[in-house]
Amino acid sequence: MTDIAEQEVIDIGDLDVEAFNEFATEQGWSDGMPLYVPTEEKVAKFVERVRGDNRPFPPVPPRQIVPTLQSLAANAVMAGCKPEYFPAVTAAMRGVLDPEYNLHGTLATTHSCAPMVMISGPVRKELDINCGSNCFGQGWRANATIGRALGLMLLNIAGAKPGEMDRSTQGNPAKFTFCFGENEEENPWQPYHVQRGFAPTDSVVTVMSGEGPHNLNDHGSTSGIGLLTTFAGGMANPGANTIYGKGPMFIVIGPEHAATLKRDGFTIESIREELWTRSRVHVSRISEENQETYVSTGHKPDGEWFSIGRSPQDIHITVAGGPGKHSAFIPSFGGTTVASVRIAP
Amino acid sequence: MRIVNPTFGLAAAAGPTVALKPINWATDAIALISNSKPNARELLEGVKAKLGAFRNVDNIEFHAKNSASQAAPKELIQAVAGKYRAALLALGD
Amino acid sequence: MIATETFKPLVLAQAKARKIEPKLIVVKHPVGGLNAEELRERIETATKGLLEATKQ
Repeated sequence: MTDIAEQEVIDIGDLDVEAFNEFATEQGWSDGMPLYVPTEEKVAKFVERVRGDNRPFPPVPPRQIVPTLQSLAANAVMAGCKPEYFPAVTAAMRGVLDPEYNLHGTLATTHSCAPMVMISGPVRKELDINCGSNCFGQGWRANATIGRALGLMLLNIAGAKPGEMDRSTQGNPAKFTFCFGENEEENPWQPYHVQRGFAPTDSVVTVMSGEGPHNLNDHGSTSGIGLLTTFAGGMANPGANTIYGKGPMFIVIGPEHAATLKRDGFTIESIREELWTRSRVHVSRISEENQETYVSTGHKPDGEWFSIGRSPQDIHITVAGGPGKHSAFIPSFGGTTVASVRIAP
Repeated sequence: MRIVNPTFGLAAAAGPTVALKPINWATDAIALISNSKPNARELLEGVKAKLGAFRNVDNIEFHAKNSASQAAPKELIQAVAGKYRAALLALGD
Repeated sequence: MIATETFKPLVLAQAKARKIEPKLIVVKHPVGGLNAEELRERIETATKGLLEATKQ
């Protein structure tokens, strides 16, 4: 008899939704929340949406199997996606398969990292992706299910089973889902995907293996430099992986903070430079044993200061969210990259 | 009801099979490889010191990944494979 | 390979994905964060495991 894992289509008999969920949980397919049933009919509707995109998928680490469009779609169906979300989901999957993303490391690590998914361009409106108030939170089907679909793919295709292949010490609620849209309409600079060389009319999915958003609250500052003082203070975190893993991070600026920074003449580049210089961590905030660990793995301080990345270019900047005086810092796993993938038209 | 298996995938093409040569652990050169997590090297240093009671340890040498969070570079793997018949890896988690 | 009992399932899962059978020496968890005195027991176990595994 063929093992279930070797069959692309399985006859599960006459199960209702509740019984299917019990079956799926027994198989280890669930993230703990209820799943939609990935019937052949539903999966076919999803696969139809990406028929024009014939680029093959590479083997997915750590499990090292090559997924089919059907098996990827089954995860998107189970997550509760609509078929029209599937091209964005497959773009996210292609992003985490960028070799520099280090999917194996980001899934097997004890760090709490989760795959952050950010969506830019016209598709945000077409799919009704929340880019405004509560954009990191609940309430939008597209945000909730696109992020969840990627998480299920990493569980079921990549094999990141918690406690086995996924060794995260504490995990992170963002592992359930972490997807948001850029607020391009209130971004006074270039949208993120345009900063990275894509056309404004392109729809792009950007992924980074990140922690959950760390809030940067500043109701008091009335100047751009005042806001950056707060941002840099929040970033100077001796417990962040990036301080010795050295890797990228996101600053997601709330629209009101962005307007103040723009008014005071700041550009993406000048914000990066300011934050890079001021977010360094003084050696007095890091234990001597930990300093030895950093240095022994090649991360030496600059005088008495440890930088939180490799260069100002490690600080990625965008605008998202709604009214209010909050922004967010999202540090990454460290040994990873920010991968942006155009959604196939 | 027929469903699509969300774990299904095709096996990736297998890499070349490497024929293992016989190892003499009492005399052959050994690579000690740390995953660069804290104490992995210290653990291997301790093992090397203890092996000194049983064999010559001058040809037991340390290597480490560049980063605990990233895969070992191909150059390191090739260098170790070219020079040693045996490697002892330590995961310092 | 020396790994802790806690990380043995990860090593075995990754080895299975690569269709290899690792020669594994298992020590108590953790290794990281131990002082020299605490690490001594892991060194003893690892050395004993290595000598047994490589007996000729």
